[in-house]
Amino acid sequence: MNVGALSRPPSSRRALLISLSALLIALVVGMEQLAPLFRALFPDQDPAMYQRESFLDLTLAHLALVLVSSLISVSVGVAAGLFVTRPAGREFEPLVSTLAAIGQTFPPAAVLAIVVPVAGFGFVPTLVALVLYGLLPVVQNTVAGLGTVPSQMLEAARGNGMNAWQILWHIELPLAMRVIIAGVRVSVIINIGTATIGSTVGAKTLGTPIIAGLVGNNLPYVIQGAVLVGLLAIVTDLAFERLEQRFSFGDSRAAS
Amino acid sequence: MIELQGLTKRYGETRVVDDISLTVEQGEFCVLIGPSGCGKSTTLKMINRLIAHSEGKILLGGEDITTLPPERLRRRIGYAIQSIGLFPHWRVADNIATVPRLLKWPASRIAERVDELLALFQLDDEGLHDKYPHQLSGGQAQRVGVARALAADPDVLLMDEPFGAVDPLTRDTLQAELARVHRQTGKTIVFVTHDMDEALRLASRVALLNAGQLVQYDRPAELLVAPANDFVRDFIGRADLGLKLLSRRRVEAYCRPAQRTRNNAIASAPITWQVDADDRPMALLGGRLGESDIARTVVNTEWTATPEMSMKEALSRMVWFRVTALPVLDGEGRLLGEVTMSGVMGHRS
Ligand SMILES: Nc1ncnc2c1ncn2[C@@H]1O[C@H](COP(=O)(O)OP(=O)(O)O)[C@@H](O)[C@H]1O
Ligand SMILES: [Mg+2]
Repeated sequence: MNVGALSRPPSSRRALLISLSALLIALVVGMEQLAPLFRALFPDQDPAMYQRESFLDLTLAHLALVLVSSLISVSVGVAAGLFVTRPAGREFEPLVSTLAAIGQTFPPAAVLAIVVPVAGFGFVPTLVALVLYGLLPVVQNTVAGLGTVPSQMLEAARGNGMNAWQILWHIELPLAMRVIIAGVRVSVIINIGTATIGSTVGAKTLGTPIIAGLVGNNLPYVIQGAVLVGLLAIVTDLAFERLEQRFSFGDSRAAS
Repeated sequence: MIELQGLTKRYGETRVVDDISLTVEQGEFCVLIGPSGCGKSTTLKMINRLIAHSEGKILLGGEDITTLPPERLRRRIGYAIQSIGLFPHWRVADNIATVPRLLKWPASRIAERVDELLALFQLDDEGLHDKYPHQLSGGQAQRVGVARALAADPDVLLMDEPFGAVDPLTRDTLQAELARVHRQTGKTIVFVTHDMDEALRLASRVALLNAGQLVQYDRPAELLVAPANDFVRDFIGRADLGLKLLSRRRVEAYCRPAQRTRNNAIASAPITWQVDADDRPMALLGGRLGESDIARTVVNTEWTATPEMSMKEALSRMVWFRVTALPVLDGEGRLLGEVTMSGVMGHRS
C-alpha cells in the first residue's frame, strides 16, 4: 500500500542538501588542492596539509564505523522497543529504558577505557562505544513512536480481523516510522561526532587528523578533520530530515 | 441471527455486563442504548471477541463464536467505529479493501467491490478513491468507515457510536444513508449509541441497558407507549414522550380524505381545500385559529406535508404557521388528503 510523500520539505532545504553534499564530496576527494590556501593561512606550519592517509580513506573508514554501529544500534534498539511494547514484554520496559539510558550517560572515553583491555585497540572498542551510545535515542523513539498510534486505530485493525503481526507490520510500524527515524537520526548524528574519539585508541576515522593536530599542535590538521566531520553530520541530518517527511501522513497525531 | 445467552463480563468483582440475554433476528437493526458506562461497548465487543466474555454464550447463526479463531470470526463481522479508526497512511480504496485483502480476494474482485461500495455510499463521483483520510470531511470519513465494515459482505455489522463525532446536520444525513443501506442490504446490525433520537430513528429494536443489565428490549414504538419502568421513561425523556412517538410515525398513517372545491366559496365542511384543475391545492378555506371560519389562506409550499414526513414535523409546521390542517401532497404536488391538529390525537393503524 502506497506510503506516499504527502508533504515535502521546502525546496530550499533540498537545494541546501544538494549543495552541501557536493561540497562534502569535493572536499573529501580534493582537500589536497587547498594546500596553497592552508600554507598561506598558516605560514609557520609545515606541513600544513594532513597527508598520512588520504581524506577519502579516512572518510570511508569513518562512514563504515558509523554505518556498522548504527545498524547494530538500530536493530537492537528497535527490537528492544518493539519487545517492551508487546504484551509479553511490557514489564521489561523500565529495565530496558534504564539500561539504554545508562549506555548513554557513560562518557565514551570511559567506555573505551573499559573495552580496550578486553577487545584490544582499533575498530572494535570504538564500535562497542558507539553502539552503546547510539542505543538510547532509538529505543526511546521506538517506544514513543509506537505510543503515538491511537488505541482506537489499533482496535479498528483488530476489529477488522488483522492478527498481531499484520497490525504491527501494516499499521503500527508505518505510523511510528517517522518518530523512529527521528531517533535513528539523533543516534547517527551522535555517532558521527563520537566516532572521532575512536582515533585515540587507534581506529582510523576523520578524528585521526584532529587528534594528530591536537597532539602535534598543528591547527590546519584539526581544521581539515573537523570541517569534514561537521559537513558529514550536517549532510546526514538534512538527508534524514527528508526521509522523515516521507512518513508524515497529514494526520492529527501528535508530532514529536 | 445473533443470540446472547446469559452474557456476563466481570472485571474483578464488578459485573459490567450482567446476565444479558437477547436475540437479534436476521435483518434486524438492533440499537444498544443506555447511559455512559452501562456496558454497551463491552457488550458489542464481546460479539466479535475484542473482549472475551466471562460467562454465558454468544451464538452467531446458531454457532458458538468461541469455536472460530478470533481473526476468522472478525473477518466475517463488519466493525465500524468513529472516523479515527481509518488508517491514515492508506488511501480510501485501501482502507475499504482491508478485510477483502486479509481474505486474499483476487485484486480484480477487490477493485470491483471497492467501486461498488463507493457507489453505494455516493462517494464515487467525488474522486475520493485515491484520497487519504485526512483529506476527507467528517461525513465522508464516516461513510468510508462504514463502507470498510461492509467490504467483505458480512452478514452482521457492529457499529460503536459511529456518528458520535460529526455535526448534527451531517449526522442526520449519515443516519438517513445508513437506514437506506440497511434496507438495501438487509444486514443484521447491532449499533451502539447514547442518543435516543438516533436510536428511535434507526432501530427496529432497541435494547436499553442500565448498569450492565438489560432493562427493556422492544420495538421503538413499544418502548414509547409501554415503557417497562420509570428508568425507561426517564431515559427517553418524560417531557418528550409524545413528540418522540410522533417522530416515529409518518403522515401517511394520519392522512384522511380532504374536502375539495374548485371555487373560493365556503363549502359545508369546516376545512376545505380550493384546488386547481390539476388537483393542486391553492388555498385553505377555514381552518385558521383565532380568525373567522371563512378565512382563506393561500397554500404555501412550506406548510404542506408529504406521506413520508414524520408527524412530528407536520405538527411542528402546523404550530409554526398557525394552521389547523396541512395538505398532504404527492410527488407532483397533487392533493392526497389532509392532516389536522385534532387528527394528531388519534391515528389509524
Ligand atoms: N478493562 C476494564 N477494566 C475495568 N473496568 C472496565 C474496563 N473496561 C471497561 N470497564 C468498565 O466497564 C463499564 C462499561 O464500559 P463500556 O462498555 O465501555 O460502557 P459504555 O456503555 O459507555 O460503552 C464502565 O463502567 C467501564 O468503566
Ligand atoms: Mg462506549
